[in-house]
Amino acid sequence: MTNPSDPSGKARRAFLGRLGGAAAACTGALVGAGSLGTVQGAPQGKEHPAAAGSLPMKDYDWTKHRWAFGVDATKCIGCLRCVEACKRENDVPGTAHHFRTWVERYVYLEGEERARIDSHQDPVNIAASGSEREYRFANRYQDAKVEKAFFVPKLCNQCTHPACVQVCPVGATYQTEDGVVLIDHNYCIGCRYCVQACPYGARLFNEDRGVSDKCTWCYHRITKGQQPACVEVCPVGARVFGDLKDRQSPISLFIRNNRVQVLKPETGNAPNVYYVGIDKEVS
Amino acid sequence: MPKHISRLLLLLAGFFAAALAAKWYFTADTFYQYGHYRGKSVAEIAAQEPVYQTPSYCEACHGERHAQWSANNHKSVSCEICHGAAQGHPEKGKLPIPADTRKLCTLCHERMPGRPRTQPQIELAQHSSGQQCIVCHNPHAPKLAGVVARVAGDAAAGATTHAARCATCHGKDGISPNDTWPNLAGQHAAYLMGILAAYKSGAQTDVMMSPIAQTLSDAEIQNLATYYGSLRCEAAPRKSRLGDAAAGKSLAQNCAACHGDAGISSNPAWPSIAGQAPDYLVNALKAFRAGLRKDPMMAGVTRGLSDTDIANLAAYYAAQKCRPPAAQGKGTP
Repeated sequence: MTNPSDPSGKARRAFLGRLGGAAAACTGALVGAGSLGTVQGAPQGKEHPAAAGSLPMKDYDWTKHRWAFGVDATKCIGCLRCVEACKRENDVPGTAHHFRTWVERYVYLEGEERARIDSHQDPVNIAASGSEREYRFANRYQDAKVEKAFFVPKLCNQCTHPACVQVCPVGATYQTEDGVVLIDHNYCIGCRYCVQACPYGARLFNEDRGVSDKCTWCYHRITKGQQPACVEVCPVGARVFGDLKDRQSPISLFIRNNRVQVLKPETGNAPNVYYVGIDKEVS
Repeated sequence: MPKHISRLLLLLAGFFAAALAAKWYFTADTFYQYGHYRGKSVAEIAAQEPVYQTPSYCEACHGERHAQWSANNHKSVSCEICHGAAQGHPEKGKLPIPADTRKLCTLCHERMPGRPRTQPQIELAQHSSGQQCIVCHNPHAPKLAGVVARVAGDAAAGATTHAARCATCHGKDGISPNDTWPNLAGQHAAYLMGILAAYKSGAQTDVMMSPIAQTLSDAEIQNLATYYGSLRCEAAPRKSRLGDAAAGKSLAQNCAACHGDAGISSNPAWPSIAGQAPDYLVNALKAFRAGLRKDPMMAGVTRGLSDTDIANLAAYYAAQKCRPPAAQGKGTP
């Protein structure tokens, strides 16, 4: 690496020093040009909004919450009411292939090593429901020899280090202070980088509007003190939602009282949906 | 400075100024307010109106239903799962009452690999022979087993009470001599307990029965129910002058799940109705239809019946033997 003619590397250091000086001068010029008023509003780090005392919403302090979600797969009965409620609540396009949350069915048949996996948009399940706007699991394994089977509800993990936010070229998707990843539909250019970047396949593309779309944990409900629609309608309590900053919230108790796991921890996204009762096949 | 260099610098400065101006012009006002995004969009997203309300929203007007629902097994199933999202209701009209309950209820209750064992599940093919679920189950209070009362009375003491208080109308042997009143011999004791207790408490009212039942003690009710349950029904099948038994038979398929194919109920919670007087059956069905006799299940199934239907049904059940050929152990459950 070092220059053989100058083992000490002094020449290079000097050069870098001069370069740094030039860069500083340029920055100075830029700040001078700042009379145009372009970069003065730039944030001085994450604590800026709270320090400035400005909140995006009047009745809701997003610095006082940190939302998280729990899924108890041992309780899920696969009724798909969550899928229906989500579509209706958030006006997700009508086909079976557009959804913000979904439920996967894992079935291990006798003598088979890998699980058979299907979800509501499987043609067999669409046929069973009779419509792309109604959701039900076909009873396709009732006569088969089933060794093990279970349902796993899935949705956006609202990662602490979201890959989808990192790849957005225009700043249309972002993470809120209370830990939810949102999309600014007025700013999204529809490039779909985020759809590809998500390791969980949680994002979808809304062809009608030409923008990416995703689960928001019903941000419009949780900021009003309500539960997300899917949690509200789950008849068996398989979906749990709450505030990590409240030690007695349902999600804090769920994490404390169960051996929870997250999906694909190796990606480094630090997801915030905690699962109970799934096995290694689920990712 | 050579001319070509200064021109180049001037050109670069021009580009730089143009870029800054473009950035200033195209960047939204609140971009960078909280981070690398448009700060106003947070409030815009949060301003969306919730579509799903909560059961407490429904309670404001449907308090009675809400009370029944919240005291029973379906209390974890929110109103809007079956009736749809309540946004805009009641201003924009009624919410649907699900028509096809076999389709709706089986979303959760069809036996399916993967469902937890604690979830109540049915084999669709072997359950209810194609009838709608609400024929037997009240969706707001779905459990049936709870209504079967335990009966442990003294039949001999019951016989004494019967002779003193009931025999005039319901007959010496529990077979009523009059078409207006039901036979009681061989009736399920659990059903009799329930209906007598209801007359006593006022949950069910009848000009004749209410005053009588109010003077009965709980022990006497137990004894009477045990006594009637222990009798053999010897009533002869009756012919109706009002209805057509053959037409009634096809209608009776809708009743079979609870009252048995030929009017002998297999569940002690529900009465056997074979061999009762046709006039009594007609009156009873009309009372259910009019809401005079209160029963959520019977109110539902009689709602669609015409007077002719009722007469035909009564004719069918009156014509059935009240004691099946293979005498079964009716009575206490």
